[in-house]
Amino acid sequence: MKGIHLGEFEELVLLAVATLGENAYAVSIQAELQDRVERFANVSAIHTALYRMEDKGFVESSRGGATAKRGGKNKRLFKVTNHGLSMLRESKQTRESFWNVLPNLLQESKGIRESFWSSFQQIPTSK
Amino acid sequence: MNLTNPPKYSRRLLRWLISEDLFDDVDGDLTELFHDNIEAHGLAKAKSRYFITVLLSFRNIHLRRKLKYFNPLVMYKNYLKISFRNLSKYKGYSFINIFGLALGMASCLLILLFVNNELSFDGFHEKKSNIYRLDEVQTFGAVSAQKVALSMYPMGPNLLNDYPEIVNFTRYWTMGRTLIEVENKQHYFKNAVRVDTSFLEMFDFPLIRGNKEEAFQDLGDVLISESNAKRLFGDADPIGQLIDLPTDDFKFKVTGVFEDVPDNSHLQFDALISLRAWDDERRQNGWGGNYLNTYVQLANNVDIEALEAKFDDFLVRYMDEEALEYYELFLQPLSDVHLGSMDITHDYNNHKKFAQSSVKVFLILAFFVLLIASINFMNLSTARAATRSREVGVRKSIGAFKTQITGQFMVESVLLTLISLLVALGLCFASIKSLTNIIDRDLSLMLFFEPINLGIILGVTIIIGLMSGVYPALFMARFNTVSALKGSGGAGNKSLFRNVLVVFQYAVAIAIIIGTTVATRQLNFMQNLDLGFEKELTVVMNMFSDTNEKYDILTTELKNQPNVVDVTATTQRLGNNLHQTSMQYRADTALIEGSSSFVAVDYNFMDFYDMEMIEGRELNKDFAMDVAGRSFIVNETLAKELSASGSEVLGMPFSFGGEDTLGTVVGVVKDFNYNKLNLKVEPLFISRQEWGWSEVNVKIEGDNITAALQEIQNVWSTLFPQRPFEYEFLDDHIDQMYQSEQQLTKVISVLSGLAIVIASLGLFGLASFTVRQRLKEMGIRKVLGASVGQIVMILSKKFTFLVLIAFIIAVPITYYLMDGWLDSYTYKITIGAVVFLIVGLGSWLMALATVSFQSLRVAKSNPVETLRIE
Repeated sequence: MKGIHLGEFEELVLLAVATLGENAYAVSIQAELQDRVERFANVSAIHTALYRMEDKGFVESSRGGATAKRGGKNKRLFKVTNHGLSMLRESKQTRESFWNVLPNLLQESKGIRESFWSSFQQIPTSK
Repeated sequence: MNLTNPPKYSRRLLRWLISEDLFDDVDGDLTELFHDNIEAHGLAKAKSRYFITVLLSFRNIHLRRKLKYFNPLVMYKNYLKISFRNLSKYKGYSFINIFGLALGMASCLLILLFVNNELSFDGFHEKKSNIYRLDEVQTFGAVSAQKVALSMYPMGPNLLNDYPEIVNFTRYWTMGRTLIEVENKQHYFKNAVRVDTSFLEMFDFPLIRGNKEEAFQDLGDVLISESNAKRLFGDADPIGQLIDLPTDDFKFKVTGVFEDVPDNSHLQFDALISLRAWDDERRQNGWGGNYLNTYVQLANNVDIEALEAKFDDFLVRYMDEEALEYYELFLQPLSDVHLGSMDITHDYNNHKKFAQSSVKVFLILAFFVLLIASINFMNLSTARAATRSREVGVRKSIGAFKTQITGQFMVESVLLTLISLLVALGLCFASIKSLTNIIDRDLSLMLFFEPINLGIILGVTIIIGLMSGVYPALFMARFNTVSALKGSGGAGNKSLFRNVLVVFQYAVAIAIIIGTTVATRQLNFMQNLDLGFEKELTVVMNMFSDTNEKYDILTTELKNQPNVVDVTATTQRLGNNLHQTSMQYRADTALIEGSSSFVAVDYNFMDFYDMEMIEGRELNKDFAMDVAGRSFIVNETLAKELSASGSEVLGMPFSFGGEDTLGTVVGVVKDFNYNKLNLKVEPLFISRQEWGWSEVNVKIEGDNITAALQEIQNVWSTLFPQRPFEYEFLDDHIDQMYQSEQQLTKVISVLSGLAIVIASLGLFGLASFTVRQRLKEMGIRKVLGASVGQIVMILSKKFTFLVLIAFIIAVPITYYLMDGWLDSYTYKITIGAVVFLIVGLGSWLMALATVSFQSLRVAKSNPVETLRIE
């Protein structure tokens, strides 16, 4: 099952790649994660995720867009593959299948919590 | 836009961390971030963030890294194979290369072995650092101050009593060859020594039988060596056996057996006798008589100088104020006795004593010979590089890194040095026998194979390999791939570095040879110098109290033999320092006290030794005064002192031991060198005394020495059946004084020979490579009409020039050093220009011959052959 596993951070990165469209490469992904979920990730961590996902077939890459700022080096631009997209979707469905049963649970727990707190409020204070 | 580059070293680290496939992408990302950060946070922060990111990229170290099946063993195998192929392809050069280095290594190893042996003297005593020998500085009137190893009988016990710093002492009073009787059979102890009972407490001479505490308990105890025990008693138990000492009428009982004294002990003895048997009141108060050695053991951390300073009081306390005019005491560390006693005379118990300076000379020479050999090795390897340029080219074009090429040649160099080491060890084994004979030392090669030493030897060998390999290795790795493939070996032809090395090598070799020549000439000069007496064909035999009784018969009988020319007797052998005594003489009206060397001789002594009388007459038994021992002959040096007051020397009243010896000076003999020639002649007087001789000297005919010896032996054995016949030739005895110098020159001669051989080997190899490189040029020259002579000239010119420079450098340095060395000799040669010229010319001819051997081959070869090669 290891091959098709999608980690939490990987999922975020994959989502970022999907949102960024044509301009998804490590630096822009880092910025996207910072902006959207206020999560700072070192670029080396993003590299790890990207190349791993490429090996798993979730993303594919091409080179292009060299700038002087990059010391003349090409960017490694990533694009989500179909397999990647279905993976994302699957992940979303998994979560939703959980969320579908979640409201009852939430209400129950709310009730318990309230009765719990009210029992405290009945205790007379010394002052 | 001018952008700052990311930090260089961090980036280099990144390159090393990230797999090569990813590097471009990651590098681009990091650079972009770096520039973003500069804008946002400034350069410093950007740099540190960059660095942190690089460090964090460590997590990606395995990312996308392709597995490389890299097996270096295959490559190493290839290196080895190529190395050996090259060795066997150029057998001659390989031989020169390996053999030259092996020669240098072997001589270095052997010398270190010898030096180690020298330094090991007396090292086996546990208390060695606290043991000192008590020596004196004697100043007797006209005799210049001299250090002597002797001390007085009462000194030891009184020092122990008076000074808490001294915790033990022993005296060492040798009896020399000693006649003994065991069950009425006569034997000799080679060197029996009287010692205090504390001797074995201080010195560690292990006992095989008996124990240290009980030895010497009784008055008549004797300890004998293991070999003596075997010789005297065979398999019988030696303990408790009785030994007679007929000359002193003592009987001794063996109470212990000690291991034979090792060769590296300055004290050599084969029997130890308790000194108490000779102890009496007269000796206990015998201040002023110096006839034995005293060793003291000090407490820990004693200030030697402070202790020595107290010795003046000591002398005054037991002798008198005047004692300080004659004596001064000093302590010589045990570790200095063997190597540091060259300036000490009357040093009779110092086995194989040697000069510290010679040890240093040896070490320096060993170093230089090894250096020459290493340089050779390096030079040849570099020169050979040229022939292997194609190999380097191929390796490089296939993808070898510079470091790989360097590594390959370094490894090859180390490999060669290791082979050389093996050859060197072989050479050592082959030559150790003759070396031990020359230097008279018992050296064992097994010392090399002790783990520590073996480690050091291997370590040094590998270092030599690396050091001499580094230049050629770098030189090869620098080759331009394309030109290397073409076969033109880069800038190999005109290497200044290589020429400097050749010059240095030759300069050292020339310096060593000049030095050796001068030293050898000085030594020959001294040995052939007219000593002032005739030392040839003289047989000397020791006399003893029993043989002295028949001295007259002995002389008459000996003189009757056809091959005996003359017989005389003396109390001291020539070729030593002679003992000093006090003397008095009357000049004008004053009675003057002084001191001088003195020897008592038979009447015909001067005539026997062909000594030249300057004034007066020789001793003569027709003069009553001569017979009574009251006629004195003085040597020139003493005569000068006697006549200083202006009085006539002949007829001067003279005595040496109070009124009853008062006599007159009857003759002046020309100075003769009875001592070593680097010392000047000291004052000496001679007379005849009825004290008994310590030796008989016999002059024999030169035509039939064996017959003469046989005759002497017959006479001796008939008269003294109890004494085995033993003799020595006087010239041998005198040569022995220079033994240390002789050994030194012999070894140095061999070394200097080796130095020039090694240097020439190097030059030979180098020349052959140079010649090989210029083959085509020579071919063209020949086609254009150059003669054989011209071609040889062209090729030899450069080497002549190098040798000339080496010569010019070597001459002043050698002159300065040798001049300093000669200053220590009273009779010395002058260093003429001739030596320098001969050595210079010699080494030039040698170099020329070496080079010509190669160049002539080229010059004579058919140009078609050389030009055809492409």
